[in-house]
Amino acid sequence: MRLIVRVAASCAALLCLAAAPAESPVAVPEPDGLYAGPPKGYTPPTLKGATVIDADGLTTLMAGPNKPALIDVAAPDRKPSNFPAGRLWLPVHPSIPGAVWMPEAGAEPLAPEREALFYRRVAELTGGDTAKPVVVFCHVECWGSWNAGKRLVLKGYTGVRWFPEGVEGWQDKNETASLHVDPAWKAGAEPQAGR
Amino acid sequence: MTFRIGKTVSSFALGLALATTALTPVAWAAGASDTEQERTARWQEIAKSIFGDRQIAQTDSLVKIEAPARALDAALVPITLTMPKDGQIKAVSLIIDDNPAPYAAHFEFGPAADPAELKLRVRVNNYTDMHAVVETHDGKLYEAKQFVKASGGCSAPMGMSDEEAMKGMGDMRMKFAETQPGKPVEATLMVRHPNFSGMQMNQVTREYTPARYIDKLTVSAGDQTIFTLTGDISISSNPVINFAFKPDGKPIQVAASDNQGGRWQHSFNPPSPTN
Repeated sequence: MRLIVRVAASCAALLCLAAAPAESPVAVPEPDGLYAGPPKGYTPPTLKGATVIDADGLTTLMAGPNKPALIDVAAPDRKPSNFPAGRLWLPVHPSIPGAVWMPEAGAEPLAPEREALFYRRVAELTGGDTAKPVVVFCHVECWGSWNAGKRLVLKGYTGVRWFPEGVEGWQDKNETASLHVDPAWKAGAEPQAGR
Repeated sequence: MTFRIGKTVSSFALGLALATTALTPVAWAAGASDTEQERTARWQEIAKSIFGDRQIAQTDSLVKIEAPARALDAALVPITLTMPKDGQIKAVSLIIDDNPAPYAAHFEFGPAADPAELKLRVRVNNYTDMHAVVETHDGKLYEAKQFVKASGGCSAPMGMSDEEAMKGMGDMRMKFAETQPGKPVEATLMVRHPNFSGMQMNQVTREYTPARYIDKLTVSAGDQTIFTLTGDISISSNPVINFAFKPDGKPIQVAASDNQGGRWQHSFNPPSPTN
């Protein structure tokens, strides 16, 4: 187990270099439903019912006539509970310009109200068209975007694109914009993640 | 020589940046976003919160900051600060702009220091500008900048249990380079300490390990200070610091403390100059 964690950590480190997901030493199978394991780690190469795209594919999609809705589900930087008052804390969230940030919408478990809010927001962003392209992403080696994509597939969305390289893969060749949490997502009273 | 924009202008510039952002429709075309403008505005915000309204001049001679353009490991990014003007430098601050806790380190040099070169290893959370700001003995501030590509360093798990990571906490070693009479001595201080950022999740329990980092580290030659470091969660686990000092034959004393009350002291004997 420890070895696996170590390998995972060193690969995660390497990914800072490569940006694209490394070839996993083990083929990660798709879980049957949503994935409830540790949020960081190797992800499957596929997501049934969705298309996997890379940064170039995303650029092409964004330049095309049928603009995708971009959904960022990355977790926000967590302020340490014992971070001293008076020290500078100024988190920033660089992402794909135009994306809507709904932190931890890919968490599992997720409070039912929160899940309903996620579906409602995606429906608004796609104008109720379940065939419209929707791109879900977070960071490289992050299960959150896989789960968010899975949620949409399960809901009947047919244009889901999973972008596993995430912000890291994007910022290598493209400009970023600092995002704020989607106001509707922020306003939701229930916990964002199920823990 | 250009100066950092002062208070009034800076808030105007920030306002302008915000206004531009607000007026620009969501732009899909590559290069249409304002990454650079955001970086500049952010640096102005950080600089103001650390240095207040003091002006910071740009420099290419008083301090240089070197980092790999693309880091191999975002949790262990080697930084070299070069300050060739001995006798002028009072202190240097390292700021990693896009880290959530940007103020990574502050070194205050004492009379036994030779601040020519300082090395340390840091965590980098996002593609970011890094700034080194030196304060000269006449009280002026000068900045140098370097862009680094790395991401996820602050939350990267250590790949071992917390107990294992804390084993031998506070142990130290020091290596000395070859010495020559009358010349500063280069030394490397290695401190065993996990420097938990507080942003690292234990992948098994899914609990966050509380922040535990070296907040103060003083290195002296006899009773003369070489430097005092004020640290933060951006310094990598098991800190390694390269520095130089003016030897006077006395032992090198290191006193370290962390934010959870840990206190450690060690003494090292530098080699005597060989002819």
